[in-house]
Amino acid sequence: MIQLMLFRRTFVRLTMVVGLGLLSTTAAAQDLSIAAASDLQAVFPVVAERFERETGKKVGLTFGSSGNFFSQIQHGAPFDLFFSADHDYAVRLEASGLAERGSLYRYAVGRIVLWTRNDSGIDVRRGLSVLVDPRVKRVAIANPEHAPYGRAAVAALQREKLYEAVRPKFVFGESVSQAAQFIQSGNSEAGIIALSLALGPALRANGSYSEVPAGSHPPIEQSAVITSASRHKDVARQFLSFLKQPEISRMMQDFGFTIPSNP
Amino acid sequence: MSLTASVHKRLSEHFSLDIDMSAMPGITMVFGASGSGKTTLLRCLAGLVKPDSGCITIGAEVLFDSVRSRSVPVQQRHIGYVFQQLALFPHLSAEDNIGYGLAAMSPELRRQRVKAIAESLHITHLLSRLPDAISGGERQRVALARSLVTDPAFLLLDEPLSALDHATRSRIMDDLRAWNVAHRIPILYVTHSHREVFALGERVIVLDGGKITSDGTPHDVMESPAHETLAQLAGFDNFFDGTVTVRRADAGTMQCRLDGSGTEMEVPLSRGAVESPVRVAIRAGDILLATSEPRGLSARNVLPGRLVSLKREGATVIAGVEAGERFLVHVTPGACESLRLGVGDPVWLIIKTHSCRLVSL
Amino acid sequence: MDWLAIWLSVKLATIVATILLLIGLPIAYWLTFSAWRWKFLVEAVVALPLVLPPTVLGFYVLVAIGSRSPLGRAWTAWTGHGLAFTFEALVLASILYSLPFAVQPIAASFAQVDGTLLEASSTLGSSRWRTFVRVLLPLSFEGVLAGAVLSFAHTLGEFGVVLMVGGNLPGITRTVSISIYDSVQAFDQAAANQTALLLLAFSFAVLAGVYALRRKSWSVSPL
Repeated sequence: MIQLMLFRRTFVRLTMVVGLGLLSTTAAAQDLSIAAASDLQAVFPVVAERFERETGKKVGLTFGSSGNFFSQIQHGAPFDLFFSADHDYAVRLEASGLAERGSLYRYAVGRIVLWTRNDSGIDVRRGLSVLVDPRVKRVAIANPEHAPYGRAAVAALQREKLYEAVRPKFVFGESVSQAAQFIQSGNSEAGIIALSLALGPALRANGSYSEVPAGSHPPIEQSAVITSASRHKDVARQFLSFLKQPEISRMMQDFGFTIPSNP
Repeated sequence: MSLTASVHKRLSEHFSLDIDMSAMPGITMVFGASGSGKTTLLRCLAGLVKPDSGCITIGAEVLFDSVRSRSVPVQQRHIGYVFQQLALFPHLSAEDNIGYGLAAMSPELRRQRVKAIAESLHITHLLSRLPDAISGGERQRVALARSLVTDPAFLLLDEPLSALDHATRSRIMDDLRAWNVAHRIPILYVTHSHREVFALGERVIVLDGGKITSDGTPHDVMESPAHETLAQLAGFDNFFDGTVTVRRADAGTMQCRLDGSGTEMEVPLSRGAVESPVRVAIRAGDILLATSEPRGLSARNVLPGRLVSLKREGATVIAGVEAGERFLVHVTPGACESLRLGVGDPVWLIIKTHSCRLVSL
Repeated sequence: MDWLAIWLSVKLATIVATILLLIGLPIAYWLTFSAWRWKFLVEAVVALPLVLPPTVLGFYVLVAIGSRSPLGRAWTAWTGHGLAFTFEALVLASILYSLPFAVQPIAASFAQVDGTLLEASSTLGSSRWRTFVRVLLPLSFEGVLAGAVLSFAHTLGEFGVVLMVGGNLPGITRTVSISIYDSVQAFDQAAANQTALLLLAFSFAVLAGVYALRRKSWSVSPL
C-alpha cells in the first residue's frame, strides 16, 4: 500500500513538471541564429557580443564543421546565416535555392599553420617535415572528407611529398577546432590547424605555430550566405554590414584572416 | 442450483481431459493423483482455461457452450476459487484481501460483510495484518473468506488444506461444512488425501488420466476401489499379479495363483474366467500376524512366511514379510512387543477373503 | 555553468521519461502477457536502440523528419516551420533512443509478479484494467520506477542522436552534453569540467537511488 501511495505521488509530481515544461516556451528568444565554421571559434564570440551591444539584437552562435552545416541546412536546419569555411558549399546552397540569391559574401581567406604545445619538444620552425620525426606519433588535422582546413592540410603535405609518410599518423577531428583540441590536450604531438585558432587566447598561451606557405594549397576561401528559410533576413543583412565595418575587419585580420575584396 | 459440466480438452499428445459430471449443492470431492487432470478441470470451470468443446452450466445460466460459441469470461462467472498456493495479495491487508471482490459495494456495506465472514471463520483478530504476518491455517481461512464473501454461485477449492496438520484441517473443515449448511451451493473440493475424502465428502468423483473412473459416496468408492491408482491412493499397500485357477460361483469366491511365487489365495468372485489374469490389492492393516501356526480360523488365507523387516512409523509398525511374495503388514507397537517380534522370525499371515480386493489394471 | 543547457536537458529528460512511462506500460504489458508467435520481432525492435550506434539512429530520424521527408513536409504545412532541429525533434528521437530503458525494466518487473495473483483477481470479478491497477502495478512498482528513472537518466546523457537531430541551437537543442562538447571545442576546460562533474554526480545519484530501491534480485545490469 505504501508503494502504491509513493507511486501515485511521484506520478502526480511528474505530471506537474511535464505540464509546466510544455507550457513554457522553448526558445531563449533569439534574433539571429548563425552557423559558423569552427575556425571562427576564437574571433566570432567577440564579434557577436559587439553586435549585440550595438544593435540590441541577440545572436545565437553554433560552431561546427562546414560540411555538417551544409547537410543540416539541406535538411531544414533553422540557421539564418551560414559562415562556411568553404566557398563551394555557399555557392551550392545559393544554386539550389536554399540560400538567398545574391546574399553570398566572401568574408575571409583562411590560413593553415603547423601547431604544437610548447612542452612537446617539437620545433615547428622546421616546417611540415618535422611531422616525419619519430617523436611525432600522432598528427591531428580536420577531417578532409568535409572540412576545408583538412583538405588544405592534405594538399600542403602532398605538395611537399610528405603525405605518404605522415598519413599513418593522422588523427581526424570532426572540425578543425576539434583537431586543435586534440593537440592542445596532448592527444596528438602536433597538427595542422587554422591560423585563427592558433591566434586565439587559449592556444596562444601554451603553444607555438609556424605558417604553412599559402601557395602550397588551394586558397581557403570562406563565404557566407543568408538562408532562404530565414525569418530574420533583415537582421542577417545587418550582421553582414556590421562585419564590413573597418573596426571589425581589423579584428578579423588580427586573427590571421585576409579580407578579400568583394565585387 | 446445480453445476453441470461436460468438458473436453486435449492437453498433450497423450493426455486429454474428458469429463461429464454434475454437482448438486453440497461438497463434492474430486479425488485423484497429481497429473490426473483435477486442476485443469477446476480451471475450465472457472473460465481460466477454455475447453476444446463442451458445455458448462450453473442452474439455468450457461457459462460455456462450444456449440453456440458462448464463453462467459472468468470475471463474470461469479465463482469462488481458492488456489492451492492461496494467492493472497501480499500488498493488501487481510481485510482488503477479503473485501477485494466486493469492489462494487459501498465501503460501509463492504466492511460489514467482511466482518461477518471473518467472524464465522474466526479470523477477526487478523483483519489489519498483511499476509506475511499471518501463518499456517489462518492464511487458508483468509483465502476461504475472500472467496466466500462474494456469495458465489459455486465454489472451487484446489487442495486448499494440504499443507496443514490434521487438527487444523479438521477445524477448518468443520467451519466450511457449517457455512455450506447455510449457503447451499455446489462446492468442488480437489484433494489427493483419502482422509479428507472421508472427513468432508458427501460425494466423491475419482479422476484418473483425465477421466472420471468412479463416482459415489466415499465409502463406496474407497472401499472397493475399481482401479489401482485409486487403490494406491486409498491406502492399499500390497498389490500382486495372479491368475484365476478355480471359480466357486456358489460360494462367491475364486481361487487364484499368484504369479512368480505360485502362492494360492482365495479372493472374492469376479467376472474373470479361469486362466484370466487378476490383480489383487490388500491393505496392510487388513493382515493379521501370528508367531505360531494358527488353527481353527475362519480366514481362508493363512500363509507361512518369514519376517524380514520392521520399521516404526508414528503409531504403527510396518512389518515386511516374505511369504512367497513380499507383504507389508501393519501391527501396533504393543503387539510387536508382546509377541517379541524380531527380524528373521517365522510368522504366519492371516488374510480374509474379502480383504483381498480385485482391481483392474 | 550553462544553466540554459542544463534546464533544457532536464526538461527534455522529464518530458521523455513521462511519455515513455505512458507508452512503455502498455508495451511492457503486451510483451509480458501476449502469446503471439511473432512477439520476438517486437522484442527485437524495442531492444534495437541498445545496440544501434546513436549516429545511425540519429541519421534515420533526421531523414524521416527532415524538410525533404513526407513527415517533415506535413509538419511544416501544419505548424509553419520544420520538425528537424527543434526541441520536439529531440523529444521524438529521445523517445526512440531511450525506449528499451523504459520498457525492459517494466516488463521484467511485470513478469516476476506471480501469475496466480492475477488469476485470483479475475476470479474475484476484477476486469483486466482493475487487476492491472490494483494488483500488477503495485507489485511491480519498483520496476516501473526503475524504467522511469533510467529513461530519464539515459536521455539526460544523450549526445550523438541529439547532435544529429538537434543541430546544437543554443536554448533550443543545445543540451548539457552538447554544451560540454562545445566548451571543449572552445578550449574552455574549466567550464566543461564543471558541467561534466555535475552531470556525473547527478547520474550517479539517480542510479544509486534506483539500486537502493530494488530489494529483490538484481544482477549487475538494471535492465
